[in-house]
Amino acid sequence: MSRFIFNRLLSAIPVLIGILVVTFVLGRLIPGDPCRGILGERATQAACDAFFERNGLNEPIPVQFMIYMRNVAQGDLGDSFRYGRSVVDLLAERMPTTIELTFVALIFAVAIGVPMGIISAYRHNSAVDVGAMIGANIGVSMPVFWLGLMLAYLFSVGLKGTIFALPPSGRLTAGASPEPFFMVWKLVQEPAEAGNFLIFLSRFYLLNSVLTLNLAGFWDALRHLILPAVTVGTIPLAIIARMTRSSLLEVLNQDYVRTARAKGLRERNVIVRHAVRNALLPVVTIIGLNFGFLVSGAVLTETIFGFTGIGKTLYDGITARDYTLVQGVTLVTAIAFVIINLLVDLIYGFLDPRIRLT
Amino acid sequence: MELAEAPISLKQAEAKTTSGRNQLIRDTLRRLFRNRSAVIGMVIISLLLLTAVFAPLLATHDPLLSMIGVPGETPPVPRKAPCIPLFGCEEPTHLMGLDLNGRDVFSRIVFGARVSLFVGFVSVIFAGTTGVFIGLVAGYAGGWADNLIMRFMDVLLAFPSLLLAITIVTIRGPGLQNALLAIGIVSIPVYARLTRASVLAVKELEFVTAARAMGASHTRILFGQIFPNTLTPLIVQATLGIGTAVIEAAALSFLGLGAQPPTPEWGQILAESRNYVFTSPHMVFFPGIAITITVLGFNLLGDGLRDALDPRLRGSN
Repeated sequence: MSRFIFNRLLSAIPVLIGILVVTFVLGRLIPGDPCRGILGERATQAACDAFFERNGLNEPIPVQFMIYMRNVAQGDLGDSFRYGRSVVDLLAERMPTTIELTFVALIFAVAIGVPMGIISAYRHNSAVDVGAMIGANIGVSMPVFWLGLMLAYLFSVGLKGTIFALPPSGRLTAGASPEPFFMVWKLVQEPAEAGNFLIFLSRFYLLNSVLTLNLAGFWDALRHLILPAVTVGTIPLAIIARMTRSSLLEVLNQDYVRTARAKGLRERNVIVRHAVRNALLPVVTIIGLNFGFLVSGAVLTETIFGFTGIGKTLYDGITARDYTLVQGVTLVTAIAFVIINLLVDLIYGFLDPRIRLT
Repeated sequence: MELAEAPISLKQAEAKTTSGRNQLIRDTLRRLFRNRSAVIGMVIISLLLLTAVFAPLLATHDPLLSMIGVPGETPPVPRKAPCIPLFGCEEPTHLMGLDLNGRDVFSRIVFGARVSLFVGFVSVIFAGTTGVFIGLVAGYAGGWADNLIMRFMDVLLAFPSLLLAITIVTIRGPGLQNALLAIGIVSIPVYARLTRASVLAVKELEFVTAARAMGASHTRILFGQIFPNTLTPLIVQATLGIGTAVIEAAALSFLGLGAQPPTPEWGQILAESRNYVFTSPHMVFFPGIAITITVLGFNLLGDGLRDALDPRLRGSN
């Protein structure tokens, strides 16, 4: 088992280095003069020369790459031109939004997708199966941003005034600013004293409202999350449903299921304890791969629903030609992707002995 | 020991493979046409192709011409709601309404089919040829070349595709061609991996060894013997890939990085209209439906092809 873990970790390292190289190259390729970008259009040549000298932009490329790697290792991703703050600060401020969104979207996708797949497989070729698969097919074919806009219209205009109405933008009702939990728990005297980690945690609005037992706040944050989460989660839902269904169909044809039935076990036992457990293995891998969909869905959905998360930050950085920001966000996202896939591989190896022993 | 048949030339051996292959193709097509959803997919795609080819005939107006100032158009001209004759519409008919510049949405969508299909096919052809070539070389060469190439593919795959496409377009500047390039580059690793897997599976089989024994060069083996056996998953992936490319192009245009106004690309139409979704939802609804139906068609066909080409079902006819 530990050998399996070690091998997996080892194979991830070249990929991480490759990501660093690619991000560095891409960042340097973005057109636009960084000096003019920061110091302004009317900066003198002397000022620009000094700027280049100070930021090491005069060094040969391999040296610049070394500097970049060293900075990344120390946690310095540079300063954003557009916002005038360090990229790491911006990321720490905005990551909780995206993480909350993708987390809720994933829960939505799994909680509905897996049962849908199981029922479809169990009632193979029935109306339920055909209907669910048509729905899944349509779900995979829809553009995420269109779904978001249509849902926003449906729930804020179409259902306006009914109990089903949902707000189309923002994380909370305008003007609401929930008390961070570290203030309510009296962990610090002044808000400014709180450490970075506590502030980071308090930005998870759902978590924060649970920790402060603020039911109204929790409900508010949740209501604002429903539409974006459904938007982001629909495609992974469709994929998970299809995968669960085909995986379970294969499993149900296996001999050991027939044996379990022949032994006289209750049907529910056969399905849940024997069949589903084995069928869910490929689904676990799919969840890891779906992270890519969740992230790109988040980029598009955040711009629609006005969530200031990583996706929107990336988009703003691109439109402003802010290459340090784009570089930083892309790097963090890619690394997160690799780590999540690694975790999924490890979990899969843990669940399925055949994988870790080959 | 006597040989069962007289020794044959390489050309004769290849001819035998071809006739067997034709039988396979006929079987596959027969199974494909029996699959209802695949047939639906094919119908959708055919309708789409016809729409794209006959766009000037189908469109009611010029997709780039604004109706502002045109006599006979009753206000409100920008963002006017759809006007369907069946529902008692007296004024000039705009089946899908007008967009925020007063242009006819129906005509824009019809012409948009051209752009979207162009993007879909060209990016898949580009990514497919490059990816297949890379996969063939990597799989056949083996060793450190294989390792190096596949590691690079892994790095490309480590980025979520939309992010990578966005970064590439940012570097080269917005525009449909650059969006095409970005989508192509992002899709290459998938084809490379698929091809390489097939090559690895086929490389050690006897007929390859036989061909080499008959004196075939590496190139001839690679493209004549191995490549045709890699086609099955590639065809499926390419079909599904066209749908994916259409959505990615629309996503890039939605972010302002793909097709630029006034090109009538579906994602671009959505981008223009998105601030008006609450007041004029028709401008957002129709392009999205067009994208959904198109991608659905390719997905259905791709799934049908995958089932029809499934080797486990072969021989069950």
